[in-house]
Amino acid sequence: MKLKDGFMTHSAGGEHMAIATGEAAKTFHGMIRNNETADFIFRQLLTDTTEGSIVDAMLQEYDAPRERVAADVHRVVTQLREAGFLDE
Amino acid sequence: MNIELAGCVIGLRPRYPYLQTYCLDYRTDAPAAFTVTATQADIDYEREKSAREDALEGIPVRRFSDDYLETLAVYRKIAVALLDYDTLLFHGSAVAVDGTGYLFTARSGTGKSTHARLWREMFGPRAVMVNDDKPLLKLTPGGVTVYGTPWDGKHRLSTNIAVPLRAICILSRDATNHITPLTAGAAYPMLLQQAYRPDDPAAMEKTLTLLDRLAGGVALYALGCNMERSAALVAWQGMNGGKIP
Repeated sequence: MKLKDGFMTHSAGGEHMAIATGEAAKTFHGMIRNNETADFIFRQLLTDTTEGSIVDAMLQEYDAPRERVAADVHRVVTQLREAGFLDE
Repeated sequence: MNIELAGCVIGLRPRYPYLQTYCLDYRTDAPAAFTVTATQADIDYEREKSAREDALEGIPVRRFSDDYLETLAVYRKIAVALLDYDTLLFHGSAVAVDGTGYLFTARSGTGKSTHARLWREMFGPRAVMVNDDKPLLKLTPGGVTVYGTPWDGKHRLSTNIAVPLRAICILSRDATNHITPLTAGAAYPMLLQQAYRPDDPAAMEKTLTLLDRLAGGVALYALGCNMERSAALVAWQGMNGGKIP
Protein backbone atom coordinates (compact mmCIF):
# COMPACT_ATOMS: atom_id res chain seq x y z
CA MET A 1 0.00 0.00 0.00
CA LYS A 2 0.99 3.62 -0.48
CA LEU A 3 -0.45 7.11 -0.40
CA LYS A 4 -2.14 8.17 -3.63
CA ASP A 5 0.17 9.92 -6.09
CA GLY A 6 0.59 13.60 -5.37
CA PHE A 7 0.71 13.68 -1.59
CA MET A 8 3.60 15.77 -0.25
CA THR A 9 4.90 16.29 3.26
CA HIS A 10 6.49 19.46 4.56
CA SER A 11 7.91 20.45 7.92
CA ALA A 12 8.54 24.03 9.01
CA GLY A 13 9.03 25.61 12.41
CA GLY A 14 8.37 22.30 14.15
CA GLU A 15 5.02 21.79 12.35
CA HIS A 16 4.48 18.73 10.16
CA MET A 17 2.01 19.11 7.33
CA ALA A 18 0.84 17.08 4.36
CA ILE A 19 -0.90 18.39 1.26
CA ALA A 20 -2.25 16.96 -1.96
CA THR A 21 -1.16 17.82 -5.49
CA GLY A 22 -1.90 16.19 -8.86
CA GLU A 23 -4.14 13.10 -8.73
CA ALA A 24 -4.62 13.30 -4.94
CA ALA A 25 -5.76 16.94 -5.14
CA LYS A 26 -8.86 15.90 -7.14
CA THR A 27 -10.45 14.49 -4.02
CA PHE A 28 -8.64 16.32 -1.22
CA HIS A 29 -8.09 20.10 -1.03
CA GLY A 30 -7.22 20.55 2.60
CA MET A 31 -4.13 20.15 4.65
CA ILE A 32 -3.25 17.46 7.17
CA ARG A 33 -1.39 18.41 10.34
CA ASN A 34 0.66 15.52 11.65
CA ASN A 35 2.44 14.97 14.93
CA GLU A 36 5.96 13.60 14.68
CA THR A 37 4.86 9.96 14.69
CA ALA A 38 2.15 10.47 12.09
CA ASP A 39 4.61 12.44 9.94
CA PHE A 40 7.07 9.53 10.06
CA ILE A 41 4.34 7.08 9.01
CA PHE A 42 3.15 9.46 6.29
CA ARG A 43 6.65 9.70 4.84
CA GLN A 44 6.99 5.91 4.82
CA LEU A 45 3.74 5.69 2.87
CA LEU A 46 5.00 7.93 0.05
CA THR A 47 6.42 4.71 -1.45
CA ASP A 48 4.86 1.24 -1.51
CA THR A 49 5.16 -0.46 1.87
CA THR A 50 3.35 -2.60 4.47
CA GLU A 51 2.31 -2.01 8.07
CA GLY A 52 5.03 -4.42 9.17
CA SER A 53 7.76 -2.55 7.25
CA ILE A 54 6.61 0.79 8.71
CA VAL A 55 6.78 -0.70 12.21
CA ASP A 56 10.31 -2.02 11.49
CA ALA A 57 11.41 1.42 10.21
CA MET A 58 9.95 3.14 13.27
CA LEU A 59 11.70 0.76 15.66
CA GLN A 60 15.01 1.73 14.03
CA GLU A 61 14.29 5.40 14.83
CA TYR A 62 12.43 5.23 18.12
CA ASP A 63 13.05 3.30 21.31
CA ALA A 64 9.56 1.97 22.07
CA PRO A 65 7.87 -1.42 22.59
CA ARG A 66 6.93 -3.10 19.30
CA GLU A 67 3.28 -3.58 20.31
CA ARG A 68 2.83 0.14 20.99
CA VAL A 69 4.46 1.15 17.72
CA ALA A 70 2.37 -1.43 15.85
CA ALA A 71 -0.80 -0.04 17.44
CA ASP A 72 0.17 3.55 16.48
CA VAL A 73 0.94 2.55 12.90
CA HIS A 74 -2.31 0.60 12.60
CA ARG A 75 -4.33 3.52 13.92
CA VAL A 76 -2.78 6.05 11.49
CA VAL A 77 -2.99 3.67 8.51
CA THR A 78 -6.65 2.97 9.31
CA GLN A 79 -7.42 6.70 9.42
CA LEU A 80 -5.68 7.23 6.05
CA ARG A 81 -7.50 4.24 4.56
CA GLU A 82 -10.89 5.48 5.78
CA ALA A 83 -10.15 8.93 4.32
CA GLY A 84 -9.51 7.26 0.95
CA PHE A 85 -5.89 8.40 0.76
CA LEU A 86 -4.32 4.97 0.13
CA ASP A 87 -3.77 2.87 -2.99
CA GLU A 88 -3.67 -0.82 -2.03
CA MET B 1 -1.73 43.33 -24.46
CA ASN B 2 1.09 43.35 -21.91
CA ILE B 3 0.62 43.93 -18.20
CA GLU B 4 3.14 44.40 -15.40
CA LEU B 5 2.57 42.43 -12.20
CA ALA B 6 5.07 42.28 -9.32
CA GLY B 7 7.71 43.86 -11.54
CA CYS B 8 7.30 41.25 -14.26
CA VAL B 9 5.89 42.04 -17.71
CA ILE B 10 3.40 39.39 -18.86
CA GLY B 11 1.84 39.08 -22.30
CA LEU B 12 -1.90 38.31 -22.41
CA ARG B 13 -3.89 37.04 -25.39
CA PRO B 14 -7.46 37.68 -24.20
CA ARG B 15 -10.25 35.59 -25.71
CA TYR B 16 -12.86 37.96 -24.27
CA PRO B 17 -12.79 41.77 -23.92
CA TYR B 18 -13.56 41.45 -20.18
CA LEU B 19 -9.99 40.31 -19.38
CA GLN B 20 -8.59 43.32 -21.22
CA THR B 21 -10.84 45.73 -19.27
CA TYR B 22 -10.11 43.88 -16.03
CA CYS B 23 -6.34 44.43 -16.40
CA LEU B 24 -6.41 47.96 -17.81
CA ASP B 25 -4.69 49.63 -14.83
CA TYR B 26 -1.69 47.32 -15.20
CA ARG B 27 -1.11 47.77 -18.93
CA THR B 28 2.42 48.42 -20.17
CA ASP B 29 4.19 48.74 -23.51
CA ALA B 30 7.34 47.04 -22.20
CA PRO B 31 8.26 43.67 -23.77
CA ALA B 32 6.85 40.57 -22.05
CA ALA B 33 9.02 38.06 -20.17
CA PHE B 34 6.42 35.39 -20.98
CA THR B 35 2.92 35.13 -22.42
CA VAL B 36 -0.16 33.53 -20.87
CA THR B 37 -3.15 32.22 -22.81
CA ALA B 38 -6.26 30.54 -21.48
CA THR B 39 -7.74 27.92 -23.80
CA GLN B 40 -11.40 26.87 -23.80
CA ALA B 41 -10.24 23.74 -21.95
CA ASP B 42 -8.68 25.96 -19.24
CA ILE B 43 -11.96 27.87 -18.93
CA ASP B 44 -13.93 24.62 -18.68
CA TYR B 45 -11.47 23.42 -16.02
CA GLU B 46 -12.24 26.54 -13.94
CA ARG B 47 -15.98 25.89 -14.28
CA GLU B 48 -15.63 22.25 -13.22
CA LYS B 49 -13.28 23.07 -10.36
CA SER B 50 -15.62 25.74 -9.02
CA ALA B 51 -18.61 23.38 -9.27
CA ARG B 52 -16.67 20.62 -7.51
CA GLU B 53 -15.72 22.97 -4.67
CA ASP B 54 -19.28 24.25 -4.30
CA ALA B 55 -20.48 20.64 -4.08
CA LEU B 56 -17.83 19.84 -1.45
CA GLU B 57 -18.93 22.86 0.58
CA GLY B 58 -22.56 21.79 0.22
CA ILE B 59 -23.72 25.04 -1.41
CA PRO B 60 -25.71 25.27 -4.67
CA VAL B 61 -23.38 25.18 -7.70
CA ARG B 62 -22.76 28.74 -8.86
CA ARG B 63 -22.74 29.44 -12.58
CA PHE B 64 -20.13 31.73 -14.11
CA SER B 65 -19.68 33.14 -17.58
CA ASP B 66 -16.71 32.21 -19.79
CA ASP B 67 -15.31 35.72 -19.74
CA TYR B 68 -15.15 35.78 -15.94
CA LEU B 69 -13.70 32.26 -15.82
CA GLU B 70 -11.02 33.36 -18.28
CA THR B 71 -9.72 35.84 -15.67
CA LEU B 72 -9.41 32.98 -13.15
CA ALA B 73 -7.68 30.67 -15.62
CA VAL B 74 -5.20 33.39 -16.60
CA TYR B 75 -4.35 34.29 -12.99
CA ARG B 76 -3.83 30.62 -12.14
CA LYS B 77 -1.27 30.35 -14.95
CA ILE B 78 0.37 33.63 -13.97
CA ALA B 79 0.66 32.44 -10.35
CA VAL B 80 2.53 29.30 -11.44
CA ALA B 81 4.83 31.20 -13.83
CA LEU B 82 5.67 33.86 -11.21
CA LEU B 83 7.04 31.22 -8.83
CA ASP B 84 10.19 31.35 -10.98
CA TYR B 85 10.38 35.06 -10.11
CA ASP B 86 10.23 34.35 -6.35
CA THR B 87 6.66 35.64 -6.28
CA LEU B 88 3.70 34.07 -4.47
CA LEU B 89 -0.02 34.59 -4.92
CA PHE B 90 -1.54 34.92 -1.47
CA HIS B 91 -5.17 35.10 -0.35
CA GLY B 92 -5.72 38.07 1.92
CA SER B 93 -6.45 41.76 2.15
CA ALA B 94 -3.38 44.01 1.90
CA VAL B 95 -3.46 47.63 3.00
CA ALA B 96 -0.64 50.19 3.13
CA VAL B 97 -0.40 52.90 5.78
CA ASP B 98 2.22 55.62 5.25
CA GLY B 99 3.78 53.40 2.56
CA THR B 100 4.16 50.26 4.70
CA GLY B 101 2.16 47.14 3.88
CA TYR B 102 0.11 44.94 6.21
CA LEU B 103 -1.58 41.75 5.05
CA PHE B 104 -4.66 40.31 6.76
CA THR B 105 -5.44 36.71 6.11
CA ALA B 106 -8.07 34.23 7.31
CA ARG B 107 -10.55 31.77 5.89
CA SER B 108 -13.19 33.31 3.63
CA GLY B 109 -15.98 34.95 5.57
CA THR B 110 -13.91 35.80 8.68
CA GLY B 111 -13.82 39.51 7.93
CA LYS B 112 -10.51 40.39 6.22
CA SER B 113 -12.11 42.97 3.97
CA THR B 114 -14.18 44.36 6.84
CA HIS B 115 -11.05 44.82 8.95
CA ALA B 116 -9.21 46.50 6.05
CA ARG B 117 -12.19 48.87 5.74
CA LEU B 118 -11.78 49.77 9.43
CA TRP B 119 -8.17 50.70 8.66
CA ARG B 120 -9.33 53.00 5.84
CA GLU B 121 -11.86 54.61 8.19
CA MET B 122 -9.23 54.99 10.91
CA PHE B 123 -6.35 56.29 8.76
CA GLY B 124 -8.27 58.10 6.01
CA PRO B 125 -6.03 59.06 3.07
CA ARG B 126 -2.95 57.64 4.84
CA ALA B 127 -4.36 54.16 4.09
CA VAL B 128 -4.25 52.78 0.54
CA MET B 129 -5.73 49.43 -0.49
CA VAL B 130 -2.98 47.42 -2.17
CA ASN B 131 -5.29 44.49 -2.94
CA ASP B 132 -8.40 43.28 -1.11
CA ASP B 133 -8.26 39.62 -2.16
CA LYS B 134 -5.28 38.14 -4.02
CA PRO B 135 -2.13 40.26 -3.82
CA LEU B 136 1.27 39.08 -5.04
CA LEU B 137 4.20 38.81 -2.62
CA LYS B 138 7.71 39.06 -4.02
CA LEU B 139 10.50 37.66 -1.87
CA THR B 140 13.88 39.38 -2.09
CA PRO B 141 16.97 39.15 0.12
CA GLY B 142 15.95 42.52 1.55
CA GLY B 143 12.43 41.46 2.57
CA VAL B 144 8.96 40.97 1.14
CA THR B 145 7.19 43.37 -1.21
CA VAL B 146 3.40 43.28 -1.65
CA TYR B 147 1.96 44.26 -5.04
CA GLY B 148 -1.46 45.31 -6.20
CA THR B 149 -3.03 43.22 -8.98
CA PRO B 150 -6.34 43.39 -10.87
CA TRP B 151 -7.54 40.24 -9.08
CA ASP B 152 -8.75 42.21 -6.10
CA GLY B 153 -12.02 40.70 -4.89
CA LYS B 154 -15.71 41.41 -5.27
CA HIS B 155 -15.42 45.07 -4.21
CA ARG B 156 -12.64 45.61 -6.78
CA LEU B 157 -10.30 47.33 -4.33
CA SER B 158 -6.67 47.60 -5.38
CA THR B 159 -4.00 50.05 -6.40
CA ASN B 160 -1.16 49.47 -8.84
CA ILE B 161 1.57 49.98 -6.23
CA ALA B 162 4.35 48.05 -4.51
CA VAL B 163 5.08 48.50 -0.81
CA PRO B 164 7.35 46.71 1.66
CA LEU B 165 5.34 44.21 3.71
CA ARG B 166 5.80 44.67 7.45
CA ALA B 167 3.60 41.87 8.73
CA ILE B 168 1.07 39.16 8.02
CA CYS B 169 -1.77 39.12 10.48
CA ILE B 170 -4.03 36.08 10.90
CA LEU B 171 -7.53 37.23 11.77
CA SER B 172 -10.17 35.62 13.90
CA ARG B 173 -13.43 37.08 15.19
CA ASP B 174 -13.68 37.86 18.85
CA ALA B 175 -15.75 40.03 21.20
CA THR B 176 -12.66 42.02 22.24
CA ASN B 177 -9.60 43.18 20.29
CA HIS B 178 -6.18 41.68 21.00
CA ILE B 179 -3.04 40.93 19.03
CA THR B 180 -0.08 38.65 19.76
CA PRO B 181 3.07 37.76 17.80
CA LEU B 182 3.18 34.28 16.24
CA THR B 183 6.17 32.03 15.61
CA ALA B 184 6.74 30.82 12.06
CA GLY B 185 5.64 27.33 13.12
CA ALA B 186 2.39 28.57 14.64
CA ALA B 187 1.55 30.63 11.55
CA TYR B 188 2.75 28.16 8.93
CA PRO B 189 -0.35 25.97 8.54
CA MET B 190 -2.48 29.06 7.86
CA LEU B 191 0.13 30.54 5.50
CA LEU B 192 0.13 27.26 3.58
CA GLN B 193 -3.66 27.24 3.36
CA GLN B 194 -3.84 30.85 2.18
CA ALA B 195 -1.08 30.64 -0.44
CA TYR B 196 -2.05 29.56 -3.93
CA ARG B 197 -1.33 25.83 -4.00
CA PRO B 198 -0.61 24.60 -7.52
CA ASP B 199 -1.76 21.14 -8.61
CA ASP B 200 1.61 20.45 -10.17
CA PRO B 201 4.01 18.84 -7.63
CA ALA B 202 7.11 20.68 -8.93
CA ALA B 203 5.31 24.03 -8.70
CA MET B 204 4.12 23.08 -5.21
CA GLU B 205 7.74 22.39 -4.17
CA LYS B 206 8.69 25.91 -5.28
CA THR B 207 5.71 27.31 -3.38
CA LEU B 208 6.85 25.59 -0.19
CA THR B 209 10.39 26.96 -0.58
CA LEU B 210 8.98 30.48 -0.98
CA LEU B 211 6.61 29.99 1.97
CA ASP B 212 9.55 29.00 4.17
CA ARG B 213 11.24 32.27 3.20
CA LEU B 214 8.01 34.22 3.72
CA ALA B 215 7.46 32.77 7.21
CA GLY B 216 11.01 33.76 8.15
CA GLY B 217 10.95 37.11 6.36
CA VAL B 218 8.03 39.06 7.84
CA ALA B 219 6.58 39.56 11.29
CA LEU B 220 3.59 37.30 12.01
CA TYR B 221 0.65 38.04 14.28
CA ALA B 222 -2.67 36.61 15.44
CA LEU B 223 -5.41 39.23 15.74
CA GLY B 224 -8.68 38.57 17.51
CA CYS B 225 -11.01 41.39 16.52
CA ASN B 226 -14.55 42.72 16.47
CA MET B 227 -16.00 45.13 13.92
CA GLU B 228 -15.44 48.34 15.86
CA ARG B 229 -12.97 50.92 14.68
CA SER B 230 -10.81 50.38 17.77
CA ALA B 231 -9.89 46.99 16.23
CA ALA B 232 -7.80 48.86 13.65
CA LEU B 233 -5.99 50.80 16.38
CA VAL B 234 -5.20 47.65 18.38
CA ALA B 235 -3.92 45.91 15.24
CA TRP B 236 -1.76 48.82 14.07
CA GLN B 237 -0.28 49.41 17.49
CA GLY B 238 0.42 45.71 17.99
CA MET B 239 2.42 45.69 14.75
CA ASN B 240 4.19 49.00 15.50
CA GLY B 241 5.52 48.47 18.98
CA GLY B 242 2.65 50.28 20.71
CA LYS B 243 3.36 53.64 19.04
CA ILE B 244 0.65 56.30 18.66
CA PRO B 245 -0.41 56.30 14.98
